[in-house]
Amino acid sequence: MAMTRREAFKNLAKGSLPLLAAGCVSTVLPEVAHAEEVPMPKGALGLLYDATKCVGCKSCMVACNQANELAPDIRTDGLHQAPPALNSFTKNIIKLYRTADGSDHSYFKQQCMHCADPACMAACMFGGLRKDKETGIVWWNGSLCVGCRYCEIACPFHIPAFTWDGFNPKITKCELCRERLAKKLEPGCTTVCPTQAVIYGRREDLLKEAKRRIAASPGRYFENKVYGQVDGGGTQVLYLSRVAFGKLGLPELGEESIPERLKFQHKIYKWLALPAALYAGMVMFAGKNFKEHAHHLVEDQKKTGLRPQL
Amino acid sequence: MTRWERSVPVYGVPVLNRGFWGLLIVVVIGLVLSGFREVVGLGSGVSGMSDPFAWGLWKNFNVMVLTGLGSGGFAVGIAAWIFNRTRLHQVMRVALLTSFLAYSTGLTMLGIDVGRPWNFYWVFMPWHWNLASPLLEVAVCITFYATVPLLLENLPPLFEYLIYEFPKWRGFAESCEKALTKVYPYVIGLAYILPIMHQSSLGALMLLGGDRVHALWQTPCLPLIYVWAAAFLGYNCVVLCLLLAKVAWKRDIDPEVLAELNKLTCWVVFTWTAFRFLDILVRGKILFALIPSYFSCLFWIETILIAGSAYVLYSGKGKNLQTMFLAHCTCALGGMIYRFSPTTLAFRPRNGAFYFPTAIELLVSIGFMALAVLGYIVAVKKLAILPASNDDWLKMAKYEEQVKPGIQLTGYAPVEH
Repeated sequence: MAMTRREAFKNLAKGSLPLLAAGCVSTVLPEVAHAEEVPMPKGALGLLYDATKCVGCKSCMVACNQANELAPDIRTDGLHQAPPALNSFTKNIIKLYRTADGSDHSYFKQQCMHCADPACMAACMFGGLRKDKETGIVWWNGSLCVGCRYCEIACPFHIPAFTWDGFNPKITKCELCRERLAKKLEPGCTTVCPTQAVIYGRREDLLKEAKRRIAASPGRYFENKVYGQVDGGGTQVLYLSRVAFGKLGLPELGEESIPERLKFQHKIYKWLALPAALYAGMVMFAGKNFKEHAHHLVEDQKKTGLRPQL
Repeated sequence: MTRWERSVPVYGVPVLNRGFWGLLIVVVIGLVLSGFREVVGLGSGVSGMSDPFAWGLWKNFNVMVLTGLGSGGFAVGIAAWIFNRTRLHQVMRVALLTSFLAYSTGLTMLGIDVGRPWNFYWVFMPWHWNLASPLLEVAVCITFYATVPLLLENLPPLFEYLIYEFPKWRGFAESCEKALTKVYPYVIGLAYILPIMHQSSLGALMLLGGDRVHALWQTPCLPLIYVWAAAFLGYNCVVLCLLLAKVAWKRDIDPEVLAELNKLTCWVVFTWTAFRFLDILVRGKILFALIPSYFSCLFWIETILIAGSAYVLYSGKGKNLQTMFLAHCTCALGGMIYRFSPTTLAFRPRNGAFYFPTAIELLVSIGFMALAVLGYIVAVKKLAILPASNDDWLKMAKYEEQVKPGIQLTGYAPVEH
């Protein structure tokens, strides 16, 4: 294919610019280029899912339902546990990404990411969803949940699921089998994985392991990146993938957490000082005008003999 | 054409007419179906909501949109009491009644929409509040607003009713009224600060929605644009109520007050539109409005309905009552579409899930709107809500004194306490 000189220059520029930029950044600002650390609970637990190792056997889905005493969701064909998405029977799901012509594919495990700064928790009115201070597990407390479903609107990963049928609905989401952990057992999904595609551990160790894998096979993983390290303010579940994360359904979130978007609101409402000042001002004006108005009402009554109306 | 001087009930019209029974049937259907929803839940054909599209008509229309329309009490109130537009005091009772009905039915709808309403009692325990949640702010503020300042503001017509119709209660009602008068400035201060807070928080709700909300609507300024839209929607609603009273009960119109309301509507709309465009320009998303798509169509429908109607009102053609009525209708429609967009019309979950309300959702929603309309019609017939002249009061008094001997509506003398 012929290339004009202009195109050649353009491509050269395109290719070298990021290199140049990367060079500048790595030499001048080696640490500030990326926020490597995000605030995490001390004993943060999590999962590491390596999509390149997953064979799509869905054992983890069966194990998850058994561990959580959930009935298998066989509504799709009446036989197989093959729900189309996370729902009130499914806390963990294996999905398949495949291009239209079948040339490329990857499996993808979806469950709660246990964010460092969870959007669902920020949304929840009375703390029905809260993050364990020790382990960082985000769990649902039914006695504080109103069933407003704002967590479903807020979660960037579309994780919480609502029981649509019945008079006593619940929010269903992965709680990292916290009751099994209390019995010194591992989460359901990691105990059965035949290829160790999903492993359980302290987030610190998982991150080290992910970095080790990337270093051991350069070019194997997409952008040599661990998704969840800083994405959306950091998550306790980490992902490695050969396919672009966006194609698997993991959103591009930047390093800011979702609740950070409300920081301006929080400033306005701090100590309720601004609303209180506004209220005081309004009472002052209203009081002054009210006096005037009351005076007019009395005058009118003298004139018309009709009872004044407030 | 007349000069509005005081509120006068709609008299000589039966309360229990065909319209009343018709509306009551719609209300009963809505109530029965909402009871059905409580038993079987929100799935299996009851609602069109799903996990990705978790909010439906009840929250997004009956709460988000209709409380906007019911913001008259705060929008007219601020103009009258804070900015001292004294002529607007005559329409305050209409504004307050529409607000109360919109908020109380909206709050009830919220209770029907949520899955575990029995846990709502935590709202009375501040130490359980998650102050980071915009929905908490909305829930607390709306509950407080509807049950304290708005209710208190709506009491004077009721006291008046007791004073005239039940002489036994007169002493009690008058001392209540006197007590209310003493705290009134503190009450109305609350009645303006609370709506500013929760109407803006209704916008803040969708900030957590992130890219689910289309870029033309999703902005850090959403709270400000939301509360601003509530202001002109409130004016629209009050003017429409006043004009409909002329159609339905041949009430006279005071062009001066309406002109003032129109002027306020225009300025609120113009500044709102300008600010919205500025916001979109600054965020660099204006191309979304220029490239033909479903979203750009929706955006221009909103903008043209709202700003176009305000322009008609501004141009002087709006002096004609029919044109004024139509302009306020289209402006309110545009405003309602705007308030409906971030949560529903321009809301797209990542997996492309779609929402359309079911028949049950529509019927319950319509049932509660009918309940508000019914409450309005009964109230304006029983209580002095709609504005009229002093002469109208005398005419009404003459009529009532014939129908109900013993009642005295003129020659009022204050009771000694």
